[in-house]
Amino acid sequence: MGWLLLVLSAGLLAPWLPLAFLPAVPDLQHVAEAPSWAASPAHWLGTDTQGRDVLTELVYGARQVVSSSLPAALLATLVGALAGGAAGFWGNKGLRLPWAVWLAGVAVGWWALALPGRWPCSLALAGGAGLAWWRRRSRTAKPTGWPLPLDAMFQSALTLLSAVPRLVLVLVFAAGPALGTPQLVVLLVLVAWPEAASQVRTQMLRVRELPFVEAARAAGLPTWRVWYRHALPHACRPLLATAPLSLAGLIGLESTLAFLGVGRPPDVPSWGNLLGTLQQEPGAWWLLASAGGALVLTLLALQQLAQQFGQRA
Amino acid sequence: MRLLGRWLAAQVGRAFLAAWAIASLVFLLSRLDAAKATDLLLGETDNLGTAVLRADADTIQHQARQAIEQRLGLAEPLFYTTRTQQAGTVSWHWHGLHNQYHRWLVGLLHGHLGLSFRDGQPIGPRWRAALAYTIPLTFLALLGAIVGALLVGLVLADGPQAALSGWRAGLHTLLTGLQGLPLFALALGLLFAFANPDMLNILPAYAGSPDDEELWGQRALRLVLPVLALVLAVLPELALLLAHTLRHELSTGYATTARAKGLSNGKLLRRHALPNAILPLLTALAGLLPALVAGAVVVETIFALPGTGRLLAEAVAMHDYPVVVAGVLFTALARLLALALADALYAWADPRIRLVP
Repeated sequence: MGWLLLVLSAGLLAPWLPLAFLPAVPDLQHVAEAPSWAASPAHWLGTDTQGRDVLTELVYGARQVVSSSLPAALLATLVGALAGGAAGFWGNKGLRLPWAVWLAGVAVGWWALALPGRWPCSLALAGGAGLAWWRRRSRTAKPTGWPLPLDAMFQSALTLLSAVPRLVLVLVFAAGPALGTPQLVVLLVLVAWPEAASQVRTQMLRVRELPFVEAARAAGLPTWRVWYRHALPHACRPLLATAPLSLAGLIGLESTLAFLGVGRPPDVPSWGNLLGTLQQEPGAWWLLASAGGALVLTLLALQQLAQQFGQRA
Repeated sequence: MRLLGRWLAAQVGRAFLAAWAIASLVFLLSRLDAAKATDLLLGETDNLGTAVLRADADTIQHQARQAIEQRLGLAEPLFYTTRTQQAGTVSWHWHGLHNQYHRWLVGLLHGHLGLSFRDGQPIGPRWRAALAYTIPLTFLALLGAIVGALLVGLVLADGPQAALSGWRAGLHTLLTGLQGLPLFALALGLLFAFANPDMLNILPAYAGSPDDEELWGQRALRLVLPVLALVLAVLPELALLLAHTLRHELSTGYATTARAKGLSNGKLLRRHALPNAILPLLTALAGLLPALVAGAVVVETIFALPGTGRLLAEAVAMHDYPVVVAGVLFTALARLLALALADALYAWADPRIRLVP
């Protein structure tokens, strides 16, 4: 716990900490040196093969964790909860969109893609949508329309994303030009959301049959409100225990990317990057001890946190 | 049996479709960025241009770019249709079968993976050479992981039923800790501990050998550390899963009956609980082979093995997209294989599945 708070505060406060060296600025007089406290601005934890101060890199590496892995894990959990919850609640046949919505959607798509006959076809479709809407308003019968196969869409997205392992998927999408932080976050969210989503979906399949959901429906609440206010909070319960684990997985993934030197520019300070320099200097025990230690401690602390949450949930 | 067959076919078919879709997606995305690829090749031919007059340099560069695009097949349109935007009006063009995607797909069906962007050589032979390293590595790790998981799981489940105690609890904690570690940290730790002049220098650090004259024993010794890293990375999940299911099985009625008849704990575990606990393990095995193939990327980079994983990592770093696409295909294929294998094993392990009419 204490360690996690330390990492978090180091990440947030990195630019204002009284560090003797700047990140990514080599000190060429001291390259790959073990820790020493003799010199006046001492390298407390030594330097790496390019003469960068290890302590500074560690602190800025924590900043990297806080600024990319943490938001990615939160976003992935959110996206996963919404997608999995919707797929589990409505299934393949539950969500019936009225004809008007379908026609309007096709019209907008036709127009935006500029398929042949752009104006007449999209106008005709929009007209059809209006007509359907008007007829629907005039007689309020049972909800009609075509069901949106939410669950099938969800499952196929999952199958597609799980066709290759996460690491390979991230590597492949990072193969292009170097990524900035927002792109990295998006990429991490893309590969991480299925985990939370399938969990919420399984839970939702159970929750939607429970009496209180039935009661909410019988009370005449709108369906989306039953979903959002009553079913979803219950289905998301186990996420509390797995969110720290998901964060740990993403930190590991991001460090692996940095270690392989893929995706980010090489001068972005990160723990994985620091460990990567170990390959040029295999005897540098201080590099392994500091960066590896920071990484391992963080991951173990997150595991502990997940266990505590799991016991409470 | 018929039902199972249909289900199996559907499962494999789905995985196959997913593999095709993801490979196509990666192919199309990568070709959108093809200008970089020609730049890569132009860099090599640049030194030829220095002898020519400066004024001609631009036209020569242009011609060279066109020649390279022609050679790599980048001059054709990308897909069956393209959407062009000129002065505000958008229009669609139909190109027929003469496009890059169609060519790639047909080549793939004939077993051609395409040409590397970096040196213009065919990729196939390079993959075959790399596979010679990766297949032994992966299968040794697979074997090690399965045997290790069975042993550790049985050991963990043995003993008093109430709670884990003593060294078993310690082992459990250790495994849980290992489970969270990323593979590269694990491999670096192993490398540091066992192949370091300052520490224990008992195993060779770098597995790749330039000469083929080496003794088999030495080559096997070089594979120890990479295989160990891979096994340690996947073992905890399997072993903990097995131990958990075994403990669950031991608390059921048939286990109590067997114990009441005077069966020893070890025999009960091996003869009665294990066959029932093996099914969840088989499901986990389906994910094992792809995980090992992905792990090979990291392990081969760290231990300098010239296998497929390192080929993929290098291709990614150098934007050599055809090699990357081949890597995606290979990984997806490994998953397909694992899935089919797991299904077959499932039918073998659980007669109830076989007997479905």
